[in-house]
Amino acid sequence: MTAPLLETHDLVKDYVIGGEVLHAVNGVSLTIKRGEFVAIMGASGSGKSTFMNMIGCLDIPTSGTLLLDGIDTKTLDSDALAEIRNRKIGFVFQQFNLLARTSALDNVAVPLIYAGLGYTERRERAQAKLEAMGLGNRLQNTPAKLSGGQQQRVAIARALVTDPLMLLADEPTGALDTQTSLDIMGIFQKLNDEGITLIVVTHEPDIAEYAERRIVFRDGRIIEDAAVKSRRRAVAG
Amino acid sequence: MSKLLNSIAGWGVNIAIAMTALRTNLMRSILTTLGVMIGVFSVILAVAVGNGAQVSVTQQIATLGSNMAIVVPQPDSGSGPPRSTDRGRLTERDGRAILRQVSGVSAVAPQIRSSVQLVTPGRSATTQATGATPEYGIVSNVAASEGRFLTDGDVGAAARVVVIGQTVADKLFADANPVGETVRINRVPFKVIGLLESKGSNLGNDNDDQIVVPITTLRQRLQTTAMQGPDDVTLLFVGFEDEDSLLTGQREIKRMLRDRYRVPKGRISPFTVRTTTEIAETTGQVTQIFQAVLVAIASISLLVGGIGIMNIMLVSVTERTREIGLRMALGAKRSDIRNQFLVEAAVLCVIGGAIGLTLAILAAAIFQQVADFPAPVGLDTALMSVAFSAIIGIVFGGYPAIRASRLSPIEALRSE
Ligand SMILES: Nc1ncnc2c1ncn2[C@@H]1O[C@H](COP(=O)(O)OP(=O)(O)OP(=O)(O)O)[C@@H](O)[C@H]1O
Ligand SMILES: [Mg+2]
Repeated sequence: MTAPLLETHDLVKDYVIGGEVLHAVNGVSLTIKRGEFVAIMGASGSGKSTFMNMIGCLDIPTSGTLLLDGIDTKTLDSDALAEIRNRKIGFVFQQFNLLARTSALDNVAVPLIYAGLGYTERRERAQAKLEAMGLGNRLQNTPAKLSGGQQQRVAIARALVTDPLMLLADEPTGALDTQTSLDIMGIFQKLNDEGITLIVVTHEPDIAEYAERRIVFRDGRIIEDAAVKSRRRAVAG
Repeated sequence: MSKLLNSIAGWGVNIAIAMTALRTNLMRSILTTLGVMIGVFSVILAVAVGNGAQVSVTQQIATLGSNMAIVVPQPDSGSGPPRSTDRGRLTERDGRAILRQVSGVSAVAPQIRSSVQLVTPGRSATTQATGATPEYGIVSNVAASEGRFLTDGDVGAAARVVVIGQTVADKLFADANPVGETVRINRVPFKVIGLLESKGSNLGNDNDDQIVVPITTLRQRLQTTAMQGPDDVTLLFVGFEDEDSLLTGQREIKRMLRDRYRVPKGRISPFTVRTTTEIAETTGQVTQIFQAVLVAIASISLLVGGIGIMNIMLVSVTERTREIGLRMALGAKRSDIRNQFLVEAAVLCVIGGAIGLTLAILAAAIFQQVADFPAPVGLDTALMSVAFSAIIGIVFGGYPAIRASRLSPIEALRSE
């Protein structure tokens, strides 16, 4: 068996505010294997986003070790981190974060620009991912001409377009209504069935039940880490 | 090879991203471009006008005649063309002595200059009359395009004949052929025997606005300012066989005149002997300074345009911090972000530069037509301006671009 996809040892992130040190993440040790579907829960301010940003290589830990696909991220420079974000990780954000006044197709193709692909290949791959998200007839729509759920599906297509190992989603359903949220979780389950690793932060306990493992944060630490007992299956949308 | 292709494709993408960004803020982009446009426009126009001045000066010198020295009875004023005030004495006899004694001299053309009024029925003109001998034609490259030039006979007989310049002819005779007509010069009737070959105008100086009469006639009938002796002249043109004899001859003439007028040792000579080469050099220097000043002033507007670019790029970086964070999250390296903003600035500048260049070419053409002054925009100027504007973009866009690329991904992403 190869190395686990993600391994953290005593991961810490401190913020200094007005001379006082705040331990936003305060010693988290955790292993996530390939193909897992993990939900992260916890009260507001418990450090979930801070933890996600570190494992997504967007933020640098204050101390501790982070191994991604067996590689110690401390040894990597900013270019290498950019490459990991590009090739191994896909991000889905609460506010979708699509480029305004830019078509769905061009939005999805952005990561491929940085992967160094040519124009035609970028378009073909982006189109394929959008079609897989059921947006084959919305390729040229700009975000302003898409519903919230559609925008989030464009964002998922973008996260998947470089065929990453894992998807990090920080409150992906936070801006969506219940039914659309369930649709999105259905998509996640389907992707997970196809082998991708998923880590999703959510506030809603029933959303967390779509995952197979649930981790709860409090004050920057993990206070609970267990398999989801009665796992829900969505009608795949 | 494929790496090279990739990097070219990479720049292509940067240009595409830049164009999209510029299009989404079209009005702002246009206003920013305007600054660079005006800067490039004024620099190119300044260079063109400066070049025109150079060309003009060269032409002006050429109309004087080459391998020639000008002798005026006036102390050397240091630099610049000789002044005609504080006149001492210089005579036709001096001219003959120079022709005899200085080696390499091909001809000496003594001249008296005087301002005169010409009248034909219903018309009049004021111009400068040169009292000359046929040598004037040889030394300073003047000939008649219609009729004939002066002859020794005209000079010997102090004939009342005149050769007129094109501008004078236009004023007095309009379209009619002036040769054979009569014109009153300072009330004295003269016969027009020829029309001077046109030499055009340089730097606002009309070379065709003059007339030539025999030196003897001018002395007897037209002279308004009294000379000290019957043989006195305003100046001498001394023609040389070649450039070498011009250089040695200049020194010889100076020495000879000192001897002839017994100028004591240590006293400044009351004569100036200036060669056309020297005049060309000093005037060339003056026009170069003129051009440098023009370009310097124009460069300030280009600098202001560049600062405008920097300002807009800083605003753009601040406004798009979140986009920068997103791009970093999606895999953009620092260099990608830097290049994106560099290209954006360069595109703004090159577009501004291209428009500025086009307008400058148009303006130079109009200027040439209206002011009758050459203002050539060369290929070198065009290339220089495009390169210049790209450099402006890179220099002034560089700081905002590097600032953008240094942002931490998460901080950029979290910014509002
Ligand atoms: N850049 C920062 N500077 C200072 N403090 C920060 C910063 N980012 C986060 N924090 C603090 O760190 C703690 C953890 O924040 P974090 O955003 O990780 O919480 P969270 O669990 O994601 O909360 P929520 O559920 O509201 O999104 C909070 O107390 C927050 O105020
Ligand atoms: Mg959060």
